This record gives sequence, structure tokens and C-alpha cells, in this order.
Amino acid sequence: MAAFELLQFSTTSHFKIYSLAENAVTIAFGQEINDLTFNQIQSLNEIIQQHPFDGFHCTVPAYTSLSIFFDPVQVITSTKLPGINCFERVSNYLLQLDKHHAEEPTSKRQPVTIPVCYDDQFGPDLTSLAKYYGITKQKIIDIHSATTYKVHMIGFIPGFAYLGGMSEQLIAPRKHIPRNKVPAGSVGIAGAQTGIYPLETPGGWQLIGRTPLPLFDSQNPQHPSLLKAGDEVIFMPISAKDFKSYQN
Amino acid sequence: MMCIKIIKPGIFSTLQDTGRVAYRSEAIPLSGAMDNLASRMANIVLGNDPSAAVIEFTYGNASFVTETDILLAYSGEGAILYTEKGALPSGKPIFVPSGTPIKMLHNALGARTYLAVAGGWDAPLILGSRSTYVTAGFGGLDGGLIKRGDILQNNIKLNEVSQKLWNRLKSNDIHFTPWHVDKTSFISSKGPIRIIPGKEFTWFAANSLLSFLSSPYKIGMHSNRMGFHLEGHRVEHIVKTELLSTAVAPGTIQVTNEGSLILLMADSQTTGGYPRIAQVAAVDLPVCAQLKPGDSLSFTAISRSDAEKLYLEQEKQLKKLITAVKMIV
Repeated sequence: MAAFELLQFSTTSHFKIYSLAENAVTIAFGQEINDLTFNQIQSLNEIIQQHPFDGFHCTVPAYTSLSIFFDPVQVITSTKLPGINCFERVSNYLLQLDKHHAEEPTSKRQPVTIPVCYDDQFGPDLTSLAKYYGITKQKIIDIHSATTYKVHMIGFIPGFAYLGGMSEQLIAPRKHIPRNKVPAGSVGIAGAQTGIYPLETPGGWQLIGRTPLPLFDSQNPQHPSLLKAGDEVIFMPISAKDFKSYQN
Repeated sequence: MMCIKIIKPGIFSTLQDTGRVAYRSEAIPLSGAMDNLASRMANIVLGNDPSAAVIEFTYGNASFVTETDILLAYSGEGAILYTEKGALPSGKPIFVPSGTPIKMLHNALGARTYLAVAGGWDAPLILGSRSTYVTAGFGGLDGGLIKRGDILQNNIKLNEVSQKLWNRLKSNDIHFTPWHVDKTSFISSKGPIRIIPGKEFTWFAANSLLSFLSSPYKIGMHSNRMGFHLEGHRVEHIVKTELLSTAVAPGTIQVTNEGSLILLMADSQTTGGYPRIAQVAAVDLPVCAQLKPGDSLSFTAISRSDAEKLYLEQEKQLKKLITAVKMIV
């Protein structure tokens, strides 16, 4: 049954590698979101970026996985990557990297501070959320801006950060009727998640504020996305006046 | 300089190349030509780099006029190009004099057609690519669809092969080479679309897997460059676990909570939370790219290593084609 050959290549104490496509493999770190997994993914991601292999294109860090994309033609013709096919060649390389560099300390990044204006004009759902939670609007703002969030991954649309760490007090359902247009920079809550819309899109999140910072800039080839997986994020409340001056 | 002016842009026309390979971690999709076999062939016969920018036309019903003498080529089964004098052949370099109106008439055989120009169409490189990503409004000419009145121009620096072709074909009338490249000879199967079982293949009921691998699916109406809805047998989940969002890629077939299938295409999101029943073999994605809403397709499973071999073999053939074009001019 060649079609059902084992997709999984190799297992270490802390991850498994499986094939995603001809040009990609995924390293799976279990199915549980926790600090250990988060740190392992960020650390291995950094090691791969520092030691790219022939044909390496990019990585995609996610909640409990790290995917690696590459050019199969370059991988198969590389003299530095042993193995009978691309999957084996890349997997061998990743296992070897993990073995030799796992102990290296990862660089400590400064938390990213994101100014947010929580005025009603930018947070049209604050009033109804305050009723839903049974707390004041100010309390929502206090709770939301008191947490240091972690960026687990960038996904969905360019520059959209999946943030972990929101207080359970702020859990709220999505809106019944999504808005046709949510302005770029809007900060919202959906379920147990909080996030920022990097582009103007339709959306069903409860909107509580807006940041004047551009979350995504296609003209910046170094960092088109302001946030990246592994970052820590703090929201800093600002006034409507400050919001305006940021924009200028 | 060579340029054309768009008279009628058609239903969804964009500038594309081989895509943005380095920015998936920032949720920037690959993009690029949906049928990257056709787009690369149109470039290769002109002596261009295979990754030069081309215009991707969807179906036909478009037209343009040459504003200068120009060396063009097209490939793909969405449309056939016509001048007043008749059809222009696909898969070969064609000299067209300035002021020639060209119409694209829909060809029922496929969905997408790629128009290349000697030197490649010019546009700014955004994040390493000229591909248009309409959803976020960047790439291409100005981040959007090609419009009526747009003037598209080539990169004026021609390489040696393109220059030789230009010197050979330039005349007062439409003029093309006797040779052409046959796209169908590069497609290794005319049968069902080949898939590799996905990571969550075992999350579905055995009967559902049999249906998936044996019954036909139809391309749904709401299908675009991001993905195709596949209408047909629903797939029953037996594992009810929520999948934590993880990387997906063009060719990934996801199963929604209701059991319907979505085939992700060139502009697909970089991550997804639906279980992945299969991954379409890379060599069969160009075949999918030529399907239209209402067309049917079916699937057959192959191994991961066979899919890789097929892919590497196709890339080898394309390299050979580049060499052959160099030798013939």
C-alpha cells in the first residue's frame, strides 16, 4: 500500500516531522498550547533562520507546529544534504540542527508596545460588552491593557497576530452579524482571543479600540508584519488626541 | 520598449509570476500564476526567465491592442488569441506589429491563459515578487485587477535568447516560429487528480474515504484564486478534536465542520484550522487551475515519494525545454 506509506519521518523526545507537501515539512510538537512548546518552537525557528539549508525558503511557526518550506530542486541537488529524497534530506538536516543547537540560548526580544485608543468611536462594542460582562468599560480597558500577550503565529491575513494570554474575564462571543468593513488597526475580541485587524476587511469580532500603528506594510521587505511569532505584546491605552498625533 | 493597451480587461486579470516564497511566516500567501506550468512555458519560449511576470487572464472575453511592435507568447487553455487575420498559435514566440488589436475568445478546454512578453512585464518588485495579491491590495501594477486603459510595458533589457528571437521574427506582419511547445506533453496524467493522504486523513470515516477516492466532485461557483469549493460526497469526521491552526499550502484539501471540501489554491491563507484530508500532487495543481465552476474532477492516491519524483521529473523537463529553446535560436 504505497499510498499509505508512513508520512511521519522521525521522532525525537519532543517532536515529530511529517510531510506537508513536496516543498514543505512540518515539525509537530504535540497538540497542547503551553509555554514549553511555545519556547521550543521559537527556539528551533531561530536556529533554522540562522542556519538555513540549500533551497530553504521560509518557516511558518504556529501554535504547536513549525513548518519549513523549500525548493525541492535545490534540496535534491545539494551536496550537503544526505538522504534519498527531499523529505528525508530536510528531516535529517532539522534533526541534526536540533541536536547540535538545542542548548543555545535564544535571543531575548523586547516586548512590542502597541498604543490603543479605547474610545467609543474606535471601540463601538465596548458599551455592549460592558453590559455582557457586568463590569465598567474602564475595567475592560484595564484588564485588556494589563496583560503581556504572546504572538503564537501570524496567519489568516498578512500581519494578523494570533495572541495568547487574554484574561478569561474578557471571553465574549463573536458578533451575530459580521461587519462588512472593519477598519485596519481595529482591536477586537472573539471567544478567548484578542487581536488586531492589519487590513480593512469584513469581520465579526467585538471591537474595543484601535491602534494608529500600521500592522502591515508591503513596502517593508525586512518586516512587512509589525509583529512576528515569538513576540510579546503590550497594549498601551492612549487618548483620541494621541491617536491623531500618532497618525501624523 | 514593447507595450500593449488593455481595451477590455476580462473577468479577473492580474499580473503574476512564480510567487512570494519567503514571507509565509508573515501570513503573506504564495500567490503567483495558478497554472505555473503554462505561465513558465509562455516565458520559456520567449527566452525569458521562467519566473518573469505574465498576465493571468480568467476565461476569455478580453482584448488589447499592441502599442508598439512586440514579441509575445501565450499558453494555457482559458482562451484563444485572435487578430483580424485569424487565431494566433499558443506555445510559441509571435511577433506582432504595432497597432494590432487582439481579442481573447474563451476556450471551453480550460480557465486560465497566460500572456508573456519578451523581457517580462514590468512592475515593481513587492516582497520579492510582481504577483498581484488583490485581497491585501499589493503587487502587480497597483495592487489590483488589470483595468481598461492600462498600459503594460516590458522590461526593456532583453537577454541574448530573446534578442535573437526578436531579430529573427521582426517584420511588417505577424510572424512566428515554426516550432512550438506542446503543454499537454508535460502533463503526466490525463486521469484523476493525484493526491497524497493528508496529515488528518485518518480523522474521517472509512466509507467517507472510499467516496473521496472514488466519486467525482464538482468545482463550486464560489471558487477563486484563494480556493475551490468541491461539491460532492460529504466527508464524515470521526475525530471531533479541533485542529489547532497550522500551516497549509496551495494544493491542501481541507474538510469543513459540515464535511465539505475546499481545495486551496495560489492565494490561499498560509495557515488553517480545518483538518487536511489530502494534498494535491504539485504536478497536478496546474491541471486543477484550468478547471471552471461546474467542471468535475476525481482523486486517486499516490505516495509522497512518487509525488516528489513526478515533481522533480517535470522540473527536469522544463530545464530541458529552456536549453532546447537556447539551442534552436
